[in-house]
Amino acid sequence: MLGKRKPLWGKKKRLKSSYDAVIIGGGLHGLATAYYLAKEQGLTDVAIIEKRYIGLGGAGRNTAIVRANQRTQENVPLYKEALDLWPVLTKELDFNLMFNNCGNVNLMHSEAAMKAARMNVATAQFHGVESHLIDAKEAKALVPALNISEDITYPIHGAMYHPPGGIVRHDAVVWGLAKGAAKQGVHIHQQTEATAIHTGGGRITGVETTRGRISTNRVLVSAGGYSAGIINRMLGLRLPISVLTIQAMVTQPLKPILDHVVSSGAYHCYANQTLKGEIATGAHMDPWPNYTTQNTAHYIKHQAEALSDWLPCLRGVKFMRIWGGLADMTPDMAPIMDGNDPVGGLYMDCGWGYFGFKSCSAVGKYMAQYMATGNCPDILKPFHLRRYENHRLMGETAALVNYTPDN
Amino acid sequence: MNRLNQLPTLRIDPAVNHSLTYRGRTYQGVAGDTVATALFANGVRIFGRSLKYHRPRGLYSLDGECSNTCMEVDGIPNVRAENTLLENGMTVKEQNVKGSAERDWLGFMDKLDWMMPAGFYYKIMHKPAAIWPMAMKQIRKAAGLGIISADHKMKGRYDEQFLKAEVTVIGGGAAGMAAALAAAQSGRRVILLESRPHLGGCFDYRVSTTSDGTPLHERARQLAEKVKQTTNIRLFEHTSMVGAYNNNLITAFQVGKADDGFTECYIEIRSDSVVVATGCIERPLLFDNNERPGVMQVGCAHRLARTYGLLPGNAAVFSVGHNPGLEAAVDLFDLGLKINCVADIREDGQDPALLLALTERKIPVLKGWVATKAHGSKMVQKATLCTIDGMVKRQFSCDLLVASAGLTPVSGPFILAQAIMGYDDHTGYFLPDQLPEKMFPAGRITGINDPDAIETSGRLAGLEAASAAGADLWTKVAETRNALAAMPGPERGCKLVIAPVKGRKSFICFDEDATVKSVKQAIDQGFDVPELVKRFAGVGLGPGQGGIPGHNLPLFVAKYTASKETPKPTTVRPPLVPAFIATYAGYNHHMFKRTPIHHSQKADGGIFRNIGVWQRARYFTADVDCKEEILNVRNNVGMLDASTLGKFRIHGPDALKALQRVYVSDMGKAGKDRIKYSAMCNDDGCVIDDGVVVKRGENDYYFTTSTGRAGQTAEWIRYHTRYDNWDFHLVNLTDAMGVINLSGPNARKVLTKVVDIDLSNEAFPFSGYREFYIQDTIFTRALRLGFVGELSYELHVPSSYMQAVWDLLTEAGKAFGIRNFGVEAQNVLRMEKGHIILGQESEQRTNLLDVGLGFLWDRSKTVARTVGAVALRQAANDTGRLTLVGIRMEDDARPARDGSLIVDNKVRGYVATMRRSFTSGEAVGMALVESQLAGAGTRLEIFEDECNGVRIYARVVPMPFYDPEGERMKS
Repeated sequence: MLGKRKPLWGKKKRLKSSYDAVIIGGGLHGLATAYYLAKEQGLTDVAIIEKRYIGLGGAGRNTAIVRANQRTQENVPLYKEALDLWPVLTKELDFNLMFNNCGNVNLMHSEAAMKAARMNVATAQFHGVESHLIDAKEAKALVPALNISEDITYPIHGAMYHPPGGIVRHDAVVWGLAKGAAKQGVHIHQQTEATAIHTGGGRITGVETTRGRISTNRVLVSAGGYSAGIINRMLGLRLPISVLTIQAMVTQPLKPILDHVVSSGAYHCYANQTLKGEIATGAHMDPWPNYTTQNTAHYIKHQAEALSDWLPCLRGVKFMRIWGGLADMTPDMAPIMDGNDPVGGLYMDCGWGYFGFKSCSAVGKYMAQYMATGNCPDILKPFHLRRYENHRLMGETAALVNYTPDN
Repeated sequence: MNRLNQLPTLRIDPAVNHSLTYRGRTYQGVAGDTVATALFANGVRIFGRSLKYHRPRGLYSLDGECSNTCMEVDGIPNVRAENTLLENGMTVKEQNVKGSAERDWLGFMDKLDWMMPAGFYYKIMHKPAAIWPMAMKQIRKAAGLGIISADHKMKGRYDEQFLKAEVTVIGGGAAGMAAALAAAQSGRRVILLESRPHLGGCFDYRVSTTSDGTPLHERARQLAEKVKQTTNIRLFEHTSMVGAYNNNLITAFQVGKADDGFTECYIEIRSDSVVVATGCIERPLLFDNNERPGVMQVGCAHRLARTYGLLPGNAAVFSVGHNPGLEAAVDLFDLGLKINCVADIREDGQDPALLLALTERKIPVLKGWVATKAHGSKMVQKATLCTIDGMVKRQFSCDLLVASAGLTPVSGPFILAQAIMGYDDHTGYFLPDQLPEKMFPAGRITGINDPDAIETSGRLAGLEAASAAGADLWTKVAETRNALAAMPGPERGCKLVIAPVKGRKSFICFDEDATVKSVKQAIDQGFDVPELVKRFAGVGLGPGQGGIPGHNLPLFVAKYTASKETPKPTTVRPPLVPAFIATYAGYNHHMFKRTPIHHSQKADGGIFRNIGVWQRARYFTADVDCKEEILNVRNNVGMLDASTLGKFRIHGPDALKALQRVYVSDMGKAGKDRIKYSAMCNDDGCVIDDGVVVKRGENDYYFTTSTGRAGQTAEWIRYHTRYDNWDFHLVNLTDAMGVINLSGPNARKVLTKVVDIDLSNEAFPFSGYREFYIQDTIFTRALRLGFVGELSYELHVPSSYMQAVWDLLTEAGKAFGIRNFGVEAQNVLRMEKGHIILGQESEQRTNLLDVGLGFLWDRSKTVARTVGAVALRQAANDTGRLTLVGIRMEDDARPARDGSLIVDNKVRGYVATMRRSFTSGEAVGMALVESQLAGAGTRLEIFEDECNGVRIYARVVPMPFYDPEGERMKS
C-alpha cells in the first residue's frame, strides 16, 4: 500500500524481433490467454500487441455482469468455469477483482418466456449450476424496487434467479491480468498496431506492426469487434460476423438500492448497481452494423422509458453518462474459437457479441492450452468456425437472430 | 443576511419570499434564489461531505460543475442545489453524512487518506478471501451519494418536444443572442437554448462596459429584449443541451416554470446548422485545500453578489490568472467586500485599467503569485500565497478565497459531435482541430474576452450558420469576419497547471476526492495517459460530469510525464448535464397494435398479453388450463380472433418466381380454389415461417405468414430477389384485414346462417378456398384449414367489417353455445394435432427436416434457387440433429413441464409443449430430441427443474394424438 509505486505491468519493453506467440488485442481475452500461456503452459515469450491502451475496447465498455445460466450444454460449463475462476484469479493475481456475486434476476413477462426460462434453469441445474424459477412476488422480495403491478407494458410473471452470478469490476480484471501476465514475462506493447500477418506454406510466419516486424509461428487474434476485420484484411478469411454498436449508461451514484443484477428481455433492459453506487444499465443494440462507438439519441430515451416502467423509483434519478462499444455478432450468438484451420498457427477468439466479459477467464485458460499444445481442448470444440459452412448452428438462442432492435 | 437588493443586475425578487425546510428549521429565501443561494443567505456554508474523505464542501462554481452542493430535495437525491430554483415549501437534506454536514462523524476519514492511495481498493480487502464480502458491504454503504427509496414516486409531468430548426444556437449569452439575431434576420427559423433561467451569460452580472459605454448587464438585457421580440427565434430558457448526434441532432431538456404545465420537457431538435456559444467555465486552481468551503471561483463569488445580492464573504483574498478575476475584485470591493490581497498568476499582461482600479482602491496586488494553501478546518480562515516558483510565502487572513486559474471553454458540444480536439497553445484551451460539419463556434469559447468582439463573433457565427442552412449571406459573412479580425483576438491563457505544492490535499476532482498526489500515484503505476488515469484514480466520473477536472487532468498528466506530445482532453459523454430518467422517459410511449375487435374481446373477458407488436387475448377465464375453451371447440364451436396473422398479396408477371424462391414447395402447384401449405427457410435451412398460399388469378396470389414474421416478410422477399430484376408487387394486408377462426363440429351450422353459398363438404371441402360476400356487402375470403383439428373456417374480412362479421357469427352461434377461445386454448388444440408453432416446436437452429416438414420441400425445383435448399441437401445426411417427435408420459397424471430436458448423461433434447389432453386423458406433447432417440417407442429420461435427481419418463409415440386420420377436420 505504501512505498514506491512501480508500473503495474512493468516498464515499457522494447519490441523484440521474435516471440513464441503474438496476441493481437490487449483486451480481456488476449490478456487472459497471455496470462495462462505464461502461467500454466510455460510459454512466457509472448507479446501482446495493442493498438491503443489495454482495456479501452469492450473490456472497459461492458457492464461487468457475469453469469452461467446460458441455454445449452456447450456453453454452460464454460461460463460456469469462468464464474468459478473469479475468486481464484483474485488470489492468484493478488489483485482485488471485486467479484460481487449478488445473483442475477432475469425477469419474465409471459407464459412463453417462463417456459423458455425453464429450459435454461433445467440446463443449469443439470450441470450443477444454481438457478431457479421464481414468481413475481418472490422477485419483488429480492428486488423491492420492482414494479409487479399489472398496469405496465410488460407485467412481470416471474423470473429466473441465478444466485452465483453477479458483477466483477471489469477494469480490475484488465489490470490484474496485465499485472499477472507481465510478472511472468509477457510483453505488453501498447500503442502498437498490427498491420499485417505473414504466412508461408500455409502457416503463420510473423506479424508486422507499426513498431517493426515480429517473427512468430503462433498468432492469436482476439481484438474484440475488430477481429473479423483484421482476419479478413490480413488473411483474406471472411468470418460470419456482423459488428454492431451496443450502448450502456450509468446514473449518478446512490446508496444501495439494487442488490442484484436485474434484467428483462422484453424491455430490452438490465440494471445493476456498481460498487460505486451507480446504476449501470443497457441492453439491445442499434440495428445497423457499424464500427463506431457513437451514441444515438433514442437509446438513452428507450432505456429511460423501460426503467420508468419496471423500476419506477429510478425516475427520480439522473443519468450521468452513456457510452458505446462494439458487439461482434455471429449468426448463432455463440463465439468462434478455433485454431490451425485454415492457416497453421492462426488462432482466433472472437464473435463474442456481448458475452466476452463473462467468459474471458475460462477462455483464456483453454485458448492458452490450445495454443501451447496445438490440440483443441474438448470444451472449446463446439465453437469451431466450420459449423457455419456445415449449417450446424449452436442453439444458444431460441429465436432467430436477425440484428433488428429486437435483439 | 442582508441582501444587496438595489442592484440592477439582480435576478431575484427580494419582495417575494419562499421558504424551505433544512435540518428541521425553516429558512426564508426569495423568488429567483436557487436552493443553495437561499441556504447561503441563511448562513449555511457547508452543503455536504465528499465521497471518500468526508471533507466539508461548499459553494464553488454555482454552475453545478461538481457534486459539492448535491443535496436531497423533496426526496430526490443528488439535486444540484446551486442551480435548482427554490420553490416555496421545499424540504432539503444533506447527503453522505453521519450526523450533519456541519458535524460529520466520518470527518476523520480525511486523516486516513494515506491509507487510500490511487486504486487502493484493488490491492486490499481480498486477503483472506473471507473478508471481501463483508468489506464489500461496507464499501457499498460508504459509496454512492444520495438515497432513493424503493417506493419513491416521482411527482410532476414530463413532456416531450421534437423540433426542427434551421439554426440552433446553444448558449444564450451575448454571443449566442447575437448569433440567433443575425441568423433570424435572414429569415431562418432559429432555436436558442440557454441553460440558466435567464439569458445573459457572462454579460448578465457585469458592470464593465462595451466600447460605447453600455454596462454589460444592460447590453445583455437589450439583446435579450430583441431576442424575445424576434418571432422566428424560439427561445428555451432554463434548458440544458445534453446530447449532439449525427447530422446535428441536438437533445436538451427544459425545466418548466410554474405556469408551463410541465415539470421538465425533453427536447429533440433536428437542425440544419448549429452555433456553439456555450462560453467558458473556470479552470480550477490546484493548491492545498482548494475545495475548502470559502474557496470559490470568480464567477461564483461575482454572481452571488450581483445576481443574488449576497456578499460572498467579509474579507477576501483573490488568487486568479485572468482579467475577469481582477474585474470581479474591483466590483466586489465596490459592493462592500474587504479584499486583503489580489494575487495574479501572471507576471504581466494584465489589463492596465483594472490594475489602476485596484491601486485606486488600495488593494494590494501581487503579480506572479498564487495561492498554495487554504487554512481552516471547516471554513477558510487564512490563505497562504506564494510566488509561482515557490520561493516566497505570505499569509493573509480571510474568510473567502476567490481562486481561479483562468478560463476553460465548454467544448462538450464539439466533442459530442465527434470533433477531434486539439490543444491551442495561445489560449491553453482544448478546441476542435477541425469543426464538425455545419457547427460554428461563437464568443468566449474561441478565447476572446473583449465584449464587442464577443458580440461580433456571435454575429459572424449566426451568419455562417444561416448560410450553411441555405441563406446567401456570404458577403455579410466576409464583412463581419473582417470586422472581427480588427478587434482584440483570443487572449493568452494562464499556463500555470498547479501551484507549487506536493498535492496531497490538492483536489483535481472533487466528486471522487482525487488529489494531485493520487494522480501521480496512478501515473507511476503505468496509467500514464488521461484516459487511463481517469479510470484508475477515479477522476471526472462523478455527478459533476468532469467539469472540475476536465481541463486540469490532461494538463497535469502532460506536465508530470514531461510528455512532448500536446495534451489530449479526456472524452466527454452525453448527457452533458445529468438528466432525470423521468425526463428522458417523457410520455413513456407504449406502442402496440390492437386487432379490429380488441374492445369486444376485452369486454368478453379476454386476458391480454403483449406478443411481439400485438396485444392478443390469451385466456377468456381465469383457468390457465383453458379446459372449457378447449372442450367447447372439440365438442361444439369456438371463435378465435386471428387478425394478427400476416396477410399479403403478391402479383405481377414474376410473382410466382418470387414465391418459388422463398417457399420450399413447388408453388406452381398452388391452385385457384385450393390452399397450399408451405414453409420458408433461411440460408441455413432453418424454418422461419409457415403459412398458406392461394392463387386468386393469373399472376395473383394471396398468402399468410405467422404473426411474428409479418413485419419482416416484405423485406425478406425483396432481399432474396434483389438481383433478379423481377417484376412483381407485394402488398402487406396484415392490418387491412381481420381474421376469424371459426372451429368445431358445429362451425358449418353457424356459418350457414350467415352466408348464402353452399358450405357442404363437397362444395367447400377441406383445403378449399372460396370468396364470397356476407350480406352482399362484406367481401370475405374463406379458407378451410384444420390447425386445431376440427372443422374450421378461417374468414378473412376487411378490418372495418371485422366487428360486424364477428357479431353476426356470435349471434348465429348463440343456439350452439359458441364462445371465444384464446391463444393458449389454440396452443393445446393444435398440439394434440401435432401441428407445430414455429418458435415453440422449433428454435433458431431447427431446420425443415427436423420438424418433420421435409415433405414440403420440392427438391426438383432447382431453377428457383430456393432459399435454404443448399443447406437442406447437406442436412439430409446429417445425424445427431434435434428432431421433433411426439411423446407420451409413462404416467399420464404427470405431464412434464414445457422446457424440461431430455437427458442421459448429457442433454439430448427438450420438451417443447406438453399437456394432459382433456380429450384423451393422456399426457402427450412434442419434444425436440437427438435423432438417435427419435425412434418410436424409445424411452426418454426427463430432467425437470427442481427435480432433485428424480427423473420422470416418457416414450416416443406417433403423432397426431388426436383424430389421426383427420376425419374431423376434413368432415
